[in-house]
Amino acid sequence: MQTIIEPFRIKSVEPIYFNTREERIHNLKKAHYNLFLLNSKDVLIDLLTDSGTSAMSAEQWAGIMRGDESYAGSPSYFRFENAVQDITGMPVVIPTHQGRASEKILFNILGGKGKYIISNTLFDTTRANIEYTGAVGKDFLCPEGKIPSLNAPFKGNADISAMENFITITGAENIPLCIITVTNNSGGGQPVSMQNLKEVKKLCNKYKIPIFIDACRFAENSYFIKKREPGYENISVKEIAREMFSLADGCTMSAKKDAFANIGGFIAMRNENLAKECRNLLVITEGFPTYGGLAGRDLEAIAIGLYEVMEENYLQYRIRSIEYLCNKLLDHNIPVMQPAGGHAVYLDGKAFMSHIPVEQYPAQALACALYIDGGIRGVEIGSLMFGKYNEAKSLIPAPLELVRLAIPRRVYTQSHIDYVAEVIIETFKKRKEFPGLKIIEEAPLLRHFTAKLETLNP
Amino acid sequence: MKPITNSWAEPYKMKMVELIKMTTPAQRKKALKEAGYNTFLLKSEDVYIDLLTDSGTSAMSDRQWAGMMLGDEAYAGSKNYYHLEDVVKEIYGYKYLIPTHQGRGAENILSKILIKKGDIVPGNMYFTTTRLHQELAGGRFEDVVIDEAHDPENEFPFKGNVDLIKLDKLVKKYGASKIPYVSIATSVNMAGGQPISMQNLKDLRAFTKKYNIRIIHDMTRVAENAYFIQQKEKGFSNKSVREIVKEICSYTDGATMSAKKDALVNIGGFMTTNEWEVFEEARNMVVVYEGLHTYGGLAGRDMEAMAIGISESVDDDHIRARVGQVIYLGEKMINYGIPIVKPIGGHGIFVDAKKFLPHLSQDDFPAQTLAAEIYLDSGVRTMERGIVSAGRKPNGDNYYPKLELVRFTIPRRVYTQAHMDVIAESTLRVYGRREKIKGLKMVYEPKYLRFFQARFAKI
Repeated sequence: MQTIIEPFRIKSVEPIYFNTREERIHNLKKAHYNLFLLNSKDVLIDLLTDSGTSAMSAEQWAGIMRGDESYAGSPSYFRFENAVQDITGMPVVIPTHQGRASEKILFNILGGKGKYIISNTLFDTTRANIEYTGAVGKDFLCPEGKIPSLNAPFKGNADISAMENFITITGAENIPLCIITVTNNSGGGQPVSMQNLKEVKKLCNKYKIPIFIDACRFAENSYFIKKREPGYENISVKEIAREMFSLADGCTMSAKKDAFANIGGFIAMRNENLAKECRNLLVITEGFPTYGGLAGRDLEAIAIGLYEVMEENYLQYRIRSIEYLCNKLLDHNIPVMQPAGGHAVYLDGKAFMSHIPVEQYPAQALACALYIDGGIRGVEIGSLMFGKYNEAKSLIPAPLELVRLAIPRRVYTQSHIDYVAEVIIETFKKRKEFPGLKIIEEAPLLRHFTAKLETLNP
Repeated sequence: MKPITNSWAEPYKMKMVELIKMTTPAQRKKALKEAGYNTFLLKSEDVYIDLLTDSGTSAMSDRQWAGMMLGDEAYAGSKNYYHLEDVVKEIYGYKYLIPTHQGRGAENILSKILIKKGDIVPGNMYFTTTRLHQELAGGRFEDVVIDEAHDPENEFPFKGNVDLIKLDKLVKKYGASKIPYVSIATSVNMAGGQPISMQNLKDLRAFTKKYNIRIIHDMTRVAENAYFIQQKEKGFSNKSVREIVKEICSYTDGATMSAKKDALVNIGGFMTTNEWEVFEEARNMVVVYEGLHTYGGLAGRDMEAMAIGISESVDDDHIRARVGQVIYLGEKMINYGIPIVKPIGGHGIFVDAKKFLPHLSQDDFPAQTLAAEIYLDSGVRTMERGIVSAGRKPNGDNYYPKLELVRFTIPRRVYTQAHMDVIAESTLRVYGRREKIKGLKMVYEPKYLRFFQARFAKI
């Protein structure tokens, strides 16, 4: 296979602190087997998230220096607004300090008890924000998206007929919103096809349900459409992105992903009345509408990053590096989600740790094993993150037990990725040594961030 | 107070500058109309000297910029978080820290945790976002600041003090169980940046201890308050601002902080508490609203800049120059005969719009009108702090605050003495033609915090 080199070189570096396996065992115990509670300096390769962890470009840093910190009406805001309007085609742009703040505002207005919000798959904070208002989030992922080992081009697609079925039973008046997450993070970073988006639009138009795109990884999704969907081979990523957004009534975005920013987000939409309501809430928890809780410099960095991420050389490098890791693991028969997603490699925790039952959080056990063996920090996306309890207080497991190894943008080199692969291959060989886990302390919402766990005797 | 002559010269020099655009009267007239006579809605490009706020507008030091480059952007457990935690413990002395993207994020979380429906929250004068969060959490704000605070002419040095008799009446009327905490601002913003004395804080601590009521500290300008204590309160002239800040915090049980003021950053804030249970609840809640508790919705670099800024903010030389510049501007205005709130506060000059425009009724929005006129004259942007900012009561009636002020807030380390001269001279010109100035009417009123986005037209 042809080598794809990075379309950039390194301008500033950050040291990595090495430690020993014994130190890591100690650190993990101190962090109660929850990788979120580790100090970042104790991590060698941090694949916890691709959110806010990107390396900014020299252009973005120049934007940081140019930031106008006026409280109201900063030119940095107007540059930001122009960029978002240009890419999404949506006239109203509201900055927020990050994605979950956008969601919280939107769901506070549209959610509430008795309401249902439908989606291909909602991400963890999105679902938590929906549930916090009393509404219920409902996922309708296409059947192929639910089988990790199946290779299909658009495993993030929504299941249109299941969605319609639900709408007719529940009543469209109880469904204030449909959210399409691109790419589908919880489902393995898998893309949604333009065709599927068009069908979602047709369905939602029929029942007058507005569509919002959760656009964190819009550029990666656009690139997959270009590569995999017939008819889009010769269309630019920007045009594809614009077509995607043209099918929606609004979008929420965490700029910490596909805008290379370390902080920031926004809501964009077409409906001015809804926007007024959003701004009313914005000033309470976020900030004035022309800064939304962000420094002016961060608005600059986002405006620049939104364009950089649509560069095709960059996207080719980005998607190929994820594929590279995925293929390396497949060569060693490691159970990974197929095909490779846009921002992460997802290990199938259930298959990897087949000796650990779901009640003992096999994916979390795997994430802990990778930290102990190689100082790699991934994140469990399984029953620790999404599991619930039934009335008898026993676990209702999540459909998939995954470990996500999210690759920060423009941060790690091929040698780092080779190291990651080697660690996983080694861990796989001695996987039976690692025990399952139980939760000893948890919060009612988003428990995975702060939960404390203990190992069970193997 | 010791006379301040030329001794406030800045303990720093300029390392990087930002160009500003000069505008013509015709351009300003057009810009003001487009902004609905609300200075918040002006584009900052059209502003010559921006005194809208001292929040997030400071110039960071070269050390803070260096800290920006040391940002550790790890989602969990960033080393900048641990640095910030150390600094907060060392300088302020609070036990537990929850970072938030800015002050109102901290207020939101703290109000939701501590306030139950029907609770009463006494405080030394309201602040817009603080009171709103108290109300949204189901509480009601009750003003217990001393009467002197509402009199712009009164020169009492500690107009931020709490009237313990008023507080005692509230406790007797509602019972201590209905009062989750007393909300204490250091350098009371709405009173004109007026400090609270250490003695008053001590008395308040003794009082609240008796009833087992918390004191929650709105500490955004605690260093400026500490400087006034050092200058004006008996027994503190030989103590450093740093020591005084720590003593102030020691009489309180927790705090909300917008680091965009004293702490010299463009974004950031936090909540602190000395109670483990409150901390635990806050940690669970911050994930929903702000971000994981080791970043709270901030980039790692911003936590680093905040940690360094906090250390710089309690430096005696820094605070002397900061407050010295504000006093320089204030004394100039007093010499011109312009009615301002006295004594001069720590972060800005508050012009008394009722006295400036005595021919306007409060329903003609005199402070809003005056802010518009000053912009028109010179491109100086100030802010209304009167009836528009006060908003409406939960029952829909307007609050009619006793003070109708225009705030000239001075960003930290940004403007020079020459800029101060321009500001004073412009205000004098408007004062000269004050009798010809007509009021405004409100044509768009948003639901919350209306002063931000309201639009006006000329009467």
